[in-house]
Amino acid sequence: MNGLERYLGTVAGRAVDDLARTPILMQFAAEFSGSDYGRFAADHCVLVEANVRCAEVFGIDQLSCISDPYRETHGFGGAVTFVADGPPRSTQPLADTKDLDTLAVPDPMGSARMLDRVRAVERYARDHAGTYSLLGWVEGPAAQAANLRGVITFMFDLMDDPEYAGALMDVCVETGIAFARAQVAAGADTIGIGDAIASQIDPRTYEALIQPREKRLVQAVRASGAFAKLHICGNITHLLPGIADLGVDIVDVDHMVDLAAVRAAVGERVVITGNLDPVSVVRNGTPASIASGVLDAYERAGNPYMVNAGCEIPAGTPAENLAALCRPLPYRA
Amino acid sequence: MSVLRELSERLQRGQAKEVEALVQQALDEGETPQRILEDGLMQGMGVIGERFKANEVFVPEVLIAARAMHAGIAVLEPHLVSAGVKARGKVVLGTVKGDLHDIGKNLVRMMMEAKGLAVIDLGVDVSAERFVRAATEHDADIVACSALLTTTMTEMRHVVEAAQAQGLRGRVCIMVGGAPVTDAFREAIGADLYAPDASSAADAALAHCAGRAS
Repeated sequence: MNGLERYLGTVAGRAVDDLARTPILMQFAAEFSGSDYGRFAADHCVLVEANVRCAEVFGIDQLSCISDPYRETHGFGGAVTFVADGPPRSTQPLADTKDLDTLAVPDPMGSARMLDRVRAVERYARDHAGTYSLLGWVEGPAAQAANLRGVITFMFDLMDDPEYAGALMDVCVETGIAFARAQVAAGADTIGIGDAIASQIDPRTYEALIQPREKRLVQAVRASGAFAKLHICGNITHLLPGIADLGVDIVDVDHMVDLAAVRAAVGERVVITGNLDPVSVVRNGTPASIASGVLDAYERAGNPYMVNAGCEIPAGTPAENLAALCRPLPYRA
Repeated sequence: MSVLRELSERLQRGQAKEVEALVQQALDEGETPQRILEDGLMQGMGVIGERFKANEVFVPEVLIAARAMHAGIAVLEPHLVSAGVKARGKVVLGTVKGDLHDIGKNLVRMMMEAKGLAVIDLGVDVSAERFVRAATEHDADIVACSALLTTTMTEMRHVVEAAQAQGLRGRVCIMVGGAPVTDAFREAIGADLYAPDASSAADAALAHCAGRAS
């Protein structure tokens, strides 16, 4: 099986040869390929080359477009700057005003940073369609709202003015849908939705304000013909009932969450990926401890399952450790 | 319900205006500033800290509770000063150089303030030299460094080295924390204290300051 066959088979709930490997690569890929994070985030050619190289060297089954959270924010009018050895930085267009009319309206094919991601998908599709799964990416409603307002300010919005927080997230969802559709049209078979901040929110607020908007985004992604994957960094145990109701195909799980609890919540259709501790196990561990961690994770998650760390493979991870994470592990019925 | 108990409960619900009014009411009724601070405001924030640690409340609830506490302290502050109530210790806090994440650092500040510690918050992207300069300037008991990224946590070593170079080691405790930071990392860089979460950081800081005072 090639990477795409393995990936599609897993999502379909079929038996595959080995477990699919879908680690999240950003700064690691940039540096492994001899570049830096700033160029990786700024130029899709660098991002594509870095991810393809890692996929070929480590046996990864998916090519990803993830770089940083500020693609849409740039489209909304944020000023983004790049640094060589860290994630890009961005201003927050709504830091000092709640007026949604002041926001620029992002056009995925017109905003430079959004278009750059679409171009990455196009390039993957041109050179690697049929070989690897192609992962597009959008920000979830809460994460994008926080990018526009500032994290703390948006959290106050959720408490003080839920109506406004909802209206802001509605704007973010519409942009997310348009951006997802552009990436699917370019060739992405899966759209990841990153809504990191949601793990910091109480279940009642999540279910009332965030989950319905994530669900709308998921439905739009699936209606466009792609699989929907949810990625929320941090502990999502308290959100599992709402997440189970989203209708996603794949859920990434961070290291502090019990995979058996996730499986019990999401049922047997949804693919679980994760959840080795990115720092203490993947970056600082040994190939042996990583191999053992993958086995444990598979044991707890059961099928359908894909190998992944709980979050991004950190910069500075020894290559042999990523190789251990991606070492082929036979599927077990 | 006693005014202090109501104060604590309103604070836990993040009701800043009610907290302000209740602090004033408690003062009018003759409660001492220290009792209002400790048995009303700090007690309420302490409950929030414990509930946060137990995953019973989440960041937004902590934020609005802390805002309510600040509203209460603003009313109380002149009375605390005239009553000679002093902070239980002094902490210089910041996110290390190259790192712009501030949620974790802000939570630590809130929890420390809730324990009666004075916090000098240097913000994000703070160089080792700034940490050390602020510690000297404010005669701090603790320098607390936060990092979210594996690429920036190594800056903490520079803070330890800068403190050493300025002759502050032994006088100022270096505390480290943040998602990728572990106690093994603390030991490797020669820092003094590690805390896995904001509430524990406040507990550890208070214990350290109490130990120095006794």
